[in-house]
Amino acid sequence: MAGLAGLVGLVGLVLVGPALAPNDPSEIRFSQRLIEPGAVFPLGTDHLGRCVLSRLLHGLQVTPVAAVTVVALSAGIGSAIGLAAGYTGGWLDRLAMRITDGILIFPAVAMAMVVASLIGIGLTGTIVSLAVVHWAEYARLVRTMILAERAKPYELAARALGAGPIRILVIHLLPNILSAVVVLATVSLAWAILSFSGLSFLGLGAEPGAAEWGRMIADGRTHMRTHPHLVIVPGLAIALFVLAVNLLGDVSASRQGYASPRAKRPPSRKSRKKE
Amino acid sequence: MVIALSRRLLHAALLLLALSVFSFSLLHLLPGDFAELLLIEQMDGDLPDQATLDRFKATHGFDQPLWQQYSIWLERALLGNLGLSFRTEDPVAEELTLRLAATAQLAAAGLAIGVLLGAGLGVAAAVRPGSLVDHAAMGLAVVGMALPNFWVGLLAILFFSVTLGWLPVAGYGHLANLVLPAVVIGTSLAGVIARLVRACLLEEFGADYVRTANAKGASRSRVIWRHAVPNALVPMVALIGLQVCKLFDGVVVVETVFAWPGIGRLLVESVLGRDFPVIQGCVLLIGGISVLTALVADCLVMAIDPRIRGAV
Repeated sequence: MAGLAGLVGLVGLVLVGPALAPNDPSEIRFSQRLIEPGAVFPLGTDHLGRCVLSRLLHGLQVTPVAAVTVVALSAGIGSAIGLAAGYTGGWLDRLAMRITDGILIFPAVAMAMVVASLIGIGLTGTIVSLAVVHWAEYARLVRTMILAERAKPYELAARALGAGPIRILVIHLLPNILSAVVVLATVSLAWAILSFSGLSFLGLGAEPGAAEWGRMIADGRTHMRTHPHLVIVPGLAIALFVLAVNLLGDVSASRQGYASPRAKRPPSRKSRKKE
Repeated sequence: MVIALSRRLLHAALLLLALSVFSFSLLHLLPGDFAELLLIEQMDGDLPDQATLDRFKATHGFDQPLWQQYSIWLERALLGNLGLSFRTEDPVAEELTLRLAATAQLAAAGLAIGVLLGAGLGVAAAVRPGSLVDHAAMGLAVVGMALPNFWVGLLAILFFSVTLGWLPVAGYGHLANLVLPAVVIGTSLAGVIARLVRACLLEEFGADYVRTANAKGASRSRVIWRHAVPNALVPMVALIGLQVCKLFDGVVVVETVFAWPGIGRLLVESVLGRDFPVIQGCVLLIGGISVLTALVADCLVMAIDPRIRGAV
């Protein structure tokens, strides 16, 4: 229940956040640049006189939404490939696993930057690039889970009753591995938020002027000595959001019994040799 | 052993080949005619006419089949000729060599801090699960993994350089410059490693052989260091190896924050400036290092655990 309440709280925050903003997040007021926190601007203004709190709240619908898109794209593509590879087996499986093995050893964010240089370094291009380097995690997990599930008697029973491969995959196997995919999704959501805001900080991702947390830090950097809160506050927003997602992931993982797979009885020598 | 090792080497070679194809195709996957793009770049933005374009293609071999262009490109790349940068017109290979030295310093220092700190915290946490040390170490790891490292870098500059004045804000060349970026990379790595080490050790502590060793009266430190740690080393080395392959992600950001003249900053500059010859070079270098790191980690695992030698 705590997990569900937390999830509802986070989603609610993302949906309602911008409505709570006291000012227009992109209105430029040159006469009111770099104001200290006060009554009109609770967190002060940035170097263009924009209200920091309003930008922060509107940012709730930039990075988290971009990160959810990255996760949805990579989970969709990766799961489809993992399902196909795990269920068909043979050369397709071997090829898919060689490719995922290859992708997984490269530094993901650096490779995403390279892909983004091809397809565009804006918002869409960066989201797609992060998905391009990230799907392999899902493919690998889903493939392993499918291998374990298809060996169970219910798969044989479904096949004996005449169910086709698509039906077995979608109706019988998929629901049984979905909880594991959800646990991975919370982990990769945290990764996607950190990566996306990092790329925005570097100048990719969110467009210039967008109320994005990473970009706010990049903008505030030049005035860091005199107005440190311009850097501190957006960073805190990122950190708290990621922390919330991580805690949510821990809760859902422990509820589904994935929290401490290693704390279970260790495998016997015999089964370990086979690995 | 020999078979397993040679299979692993073959995989690494195939991966390097795939990497070179990806790097080569970067230019050719660009929307539009890349020869025209190159020419526009060389003519400082003027649009070339068709005759000039054809002559340019013929002299540089861009009218040949793709596989032939690839083999020529690969041959040159292997000989150390990676073309000229669009922006500075310096040889890419020279630039990469210069930058690699800076990145290697930073990565090595960060890695040393990360592994020592992470392993220390992980062992301390695993030895007394549920204790204050355990909770503190794991809490630090969780918080550490939630902090964006570019932000931590800026905060470190604010606190240690601006407020306290202990260390230089940014720059390169002195040992004092290295401290902050290396610590930022190291601490972000340490959180992950501490969790991995703790999990691997706890698994071994539950094993039958640890109970046997305890029952035979082996001392606590002997059980930990002579029995459990060597067994936990296998998954630890494999998992830490994978983290080291990903180390570069942090390096990119931290180099930018601290104005460190390394490969990461070069990659950011060249991506933002659409400097494709430099991006190609970065891909080859970064990818190649990752492939080699993974290979070394696998060889280490084989060296540690004789059971795996036949199976990799």
